[in-house]
Amino acid sequence: MIKKLLSWLASPLGKIGLLILSLIVISGAVWGIGQTQTVPEQPIDFPHSLHVGLGVQCLYCHPGSLKGPVSGLPTQTKCWGCHQQIAKTKTSALLAPLVQAVENNQPIQWVPVAMVPDFVRYNHRPHIAAGLNCEDCHGDVSKMTVYENPQVLNMGWCLNCHVEQAGEDEEKLIRLTDCGTCHY
Amino acid sequence: MANLDKESAVSVNLTNPEEGKWGMVIDRDLCTGCQACVAACAMENNLAFVGEELSGNGRSMHWIRIERFWEGEYPEVKATPFEPTMCQQCGYAPCEPVCPAYATVHSQDQQLNLQVYNRCVGTRYCGNNCPYQVRSFNWFDYERPEPLNNQFNPDVTVRRRGVMEKCTFCIQRIKRAEDTARAEGREVADGEFAPACAQACPANAIVFGRVDKPETVVSQLAKQARGVKRLEELGTFPHVTYLKAG
Amino acid sequence: MSKQISRRDFLKLAGLGAATTAVLTGCGPASRVVVREQYIRMPEYTFNGQSTYFATTCRECPAGCGLVVRTYQGRAIKTEGNPLNPVNLGKTCARGQATLQGLYNPDRVTDPLNQGRGGALSANKVTWEEATGVVADALNGGGAAFLMGMAPDHLYDLAADLGLETIRYSALGAFEARATLTQAAETMLGQKGMPFFDMGNADFVLSFGANFLETWVSPVAYTRGYAGLRKGDRGRRGLFAQVEPRLSQTAAKADEWLPARPGTEGLVALAIGRIAAEARGLAVPPAFAGVDVAAAAAEADVPLEALERVASYFAAADRPLAIPGGAALAHSNGAQNAEAIFALNALVGNFGRPGGVFISPLAPGVDEYHRPANMQEMADFVARMNSGAIKTLFIHGVNPVFELPKALGFAEALVKVPQVISFATFPDETALMADYIFPDHHGLESWGYQRIVTGATRSALGGAQPVVVPFYNTMSTVDLLLAASQSSFADEVAFIQSKVEPLVADKNANFNAAEINAFFAYFQQFGGWWSNAEGLAAPSGGAKAVAVEAAEFEGEGEFYLLPYMSPVLGEAGANKPWLQEVPDPMTTVMWNSWVEINPDTAHELGLENDDVVRVVSEFGAVEAPVYRYPAIRPDTLALAFGQGHTAYGRYAAGRGVNPADVLGLSYNEAGDLAFAATRVRIEKTGEKRVLSRLESKLGVYGEGLGEEH
Repeated sequence: MIKKLLSWLASPLGKIGLLILSLIVISGAVWGIGQTQTVPEQPIDFPHSLHVGLGVQCLYCHPGSLKGPVSGLPTQTKCWGCHQQIAKTKTSALLAPLVQAVENNQPIQWVPVAMVPDFVRYNHRPHIAAGLNCEDCHGDVSKMTVYENPQVLNMGWCLNCHVEQAGEDEEKLIRLTDCGTCHY
Repeated sequence: MANLDKESAVSVNLTNPEEGKWGMVIDRDLCTGCQACVAACAMENNLAFVGEELSGNGRSMHWIRIERFWEGEYPEVKATPFEPTMCQQCGYAPCEPVCPAYATVHSQDQQLNLQVYNRCVGTRYCGNNCPYQVRSFNWFDYERPEPLNNQFNPDVTVRRRGVMEKCTFCIQRIKRAEDTARAEGREVADGEFAPACAQACPANAIVFGRVDKPETVVSQLAKQARGVKRLEELGTFPHVTYLKAG
Repeated sequence: MSKQISRRDFLKLAGLGAATTAVLTGCGPASRVVVREQYIRMPEYTFNGQSTYFATTCRECPAGCGLVVRTYQGRAIKTEGNPLNPVNLGKTCARGQATLQGLYNPDRVTDPLNQGRGGALSANKVTWEEATGVVADALNGGGAAFLMGMAPDHLYDLAADLGLETIRYSALGAFEARATLTQAAETMLGQKGMPFFDMGNADFVLSFGANFLETWVSPVAYTRGYAGLRKGDRGRRGLFAQVEPRLSQTAAKADEWLPARPGTEGLVALAIGRIAAEARGLAVPPAFAGVDVAAAAAEADVPLEALERVASYFAAADRPLAIPGGAALAHSNGAQNAEAIFALNALVGNFGRPGGVFISPLAPGVDEYHRPANMQEMADFVARMNSGAIKTLFIHGVNPVFELPKALGFAEALVKVPQVISFATFPDETALMADYIFPDHHGLESWGYQRIVTGATRSALGGAQPVVVPFYNTMSTVDLLLAASQSSFADEVAFIQSKVEPLVADKNANFNAAEINAFFAYFQQFGGWWSNAEGLAAPSGGAKAVAVEAAEFEGEGEFYLLPYMSPVLGEAGANKPWLQEVPDPMTTVMWNSWVEINPDTAHELGLENDDVVRVVSEFGAVEAPVYRYPAIRPDTLALAFGQGHTAYGRYAAGRGVNPADVLGLSYNEAGDLAFAATRVRIEKTGEKRVLSRLESKLGVYGEGLGEEH
């Protein structure tokens, strides 16, 4: 049975079949990777560039990163604090979902973009304490409208930086490359 | 880029596997078998409950269990002292070398046996090779009907079908305490935090702390003459010490 | 792609592609698209990614242990003990840990219901306005009575203020024979109140059936006392002996176990008293003089040497302590047993000295200790229900249809009460028989206070506050009563504040405040109020004449039946799935009931483990699998109380059996149920039902467990 299959695979038809199969797998994989890296649709096309351009600090809306694992999304009362004073808020089509959410007292359903893979325990605080700036991982947000990851947030990327950070300090290297540092 | 494979990475500043870093002392004389630790562990670590049939098949997900055996016959019968049994976080753990996926690895940083869920492919070799029988395997995806899922601890991974799991010494609490201490520019103080089992224990039978530092309570207790380590003859260097009565 | 795509759907959709992606990107993000809702308004004290901790009081039993609950983004994540609370000093029992599985139980009563006495939970919702009207009519109609549990105390105070006829019952209290304990204490100590046994400072503890490491009175506090005894704070490891027919979890920790015949505990106490008095060179008090030690040993069916050995420990100890409790008092002669045991304390001068017996400090707001109703009072109450004197019955925090002996006929009497209003959080057996269910919040969603009866050495009041916003459309029963009675109090908090306000003046306490608002803020922060003054009272009593008659039993069966409170489930833990999966400490059985029987007796009867037997008394019968329990008298069967629900949610219903179904109705002199005085016989059913036991998991390491392993 297996021999038969192998001999068929060796035939020209089999080679073509194999080629088609691998093309299907590869294109599926490419499509999948594309999916994971495509910026998801957001309820509001939030222009980070505009807000950062106006001089709003990252930590004003995402203060959690200073203290703990999660940077957090601002409450809509925080959005409203500024936006209720802006005349355009009521008229702009872009801002209609915000107005609606505030009026109906409904939360806005954001789709987080900067997510580490599953099974990773990420904590913002030590990264900021180590002297990293937001843009080191999140890129130049002042040039983005809807946020987009500047690179794939995967383990290789994390480890490269951890190893660099450790430098020649072997104790630090062990601490920063220990599985238990991120996975538990 | 530094060399990740370098064996010399275990430098003098770090704890060694024999001695360990974190350890526990369990006083069998004080343990009353009340199961508070068992419940506390389940609540802290998002343990799944499996129901009557599966638990009867030995598939319950206890990370800690309280063993008791019988000695003698009525009326001269006695229950042996209750022994809370969880992963002993061996220095040289029998579970580690048998994992083909490197999912159960030794943490050089914390001197704990880690279970990396995303690497685990479910061979269960580690569970078979554990002389203490403290590992549990997720045979199924266990249902926690709404709204029980509201109770999930966000610091602990919710495991799914096909992975092995076991006591972590509440590594999420170790991490939190270390992070807080580092943020405040100090060392973690002895007794500053405890795993869920030790924190709940009404008799204070479970004591947790640094075993590599001689001044901690746990080190002092472990040094007592009545301290024993279980199946020590296997060369596992367990980091849990049991105190005999007396 | 849809925004609301779940992880599972996404995987299906992406299929091979995503799986390959995961491999190629190195454990890539499979759950890429999720939705996150932010707070509309950030609640006070909340911070992104940070936990908030609230102090409150545990309501799983009336002991009043303090809890600190970790909450995260508005959800309760974990309960821990409150280290400041003088009862538990930061510790909890298994039930305290599992209280969150009550809060987030999938089978709570979610809305006020017109239950209409249906068998199943009604779908007939009413509004809270209608509910308030129903309660108001009931309050104004006259003939209303309130049957409630031992927690919370502020509800009891409100019911008393409203002038309602109030009766409180607790299954735990019944299994402790609380009325017997307090009555004997009053007789022997010469002072009213709840006795406190200073175990931590004793060096020999002799307990007669008191399961103080399981559920007795205040188990967390007494476990601390036990640890003190063993650690030997006075330089020597203290010893401990237990007298009871079955080796309980508490007795498993004892150095000596005397399996005395049920009902002979008082006699054993007298015999020990006689030996100890003689050994100590004391004049033998008349109470003990009349006892023939050898005859007592024979009557109690314990080896004379064992009895003498225990007595010699008692005689040799500096600070011996005798504790009466549980099944030892639940006999026709229970009150005499208790007095005989107290007489042992009197013999060695234990009243009011360290390591001895004290009277617990009274909690604020009461001038004497109010015990739960004993079974005789419950029987009288059932008679009043039958007579039609009670027009409306309010029920809160107690499940009498399940907890009371079936022979008492509570369920039948309940049918005769014209209107029954239940405030149950869970659809328990009693609530399903009610006309209305107006669900109270869960304890963790509630305001309140709880008087600390015992366990603390100072006067203390546990404070409760909501740690999360109520999850369902429930309403505080206190708020409902306030609204229905058109009270002048704005809400529950105002009522509680009025009750704790007198404490503002007491400056010798865990905190000080100038006025009630600041006081109440501290009250929440500390999780209660407790005095700094040591409050244990030294009783004045001395030796009194004691005589112990022989115990009488009901029925003709060849076995004594020993029902005992399940150490893990307690009376109301069966609906929490993780408590069901926590193994029983002694048998390691999970999720079911079993009948404990001595292996030799089982062998004679041809019974193996897991053979289903019928336990039959004159009052009823239950069927459960056999557990061959090595440490129980050959003439005794034991059944744990806690399972056997017919309702109470998916995890409890239809699981195990309830020993209350077979209990008789004899009382002791203090009016407590003589629950250990029922005789039963067993019948084989020929069926087998395999029990789920953790110990079988031990596999090849369990060789010492028993024959069948």
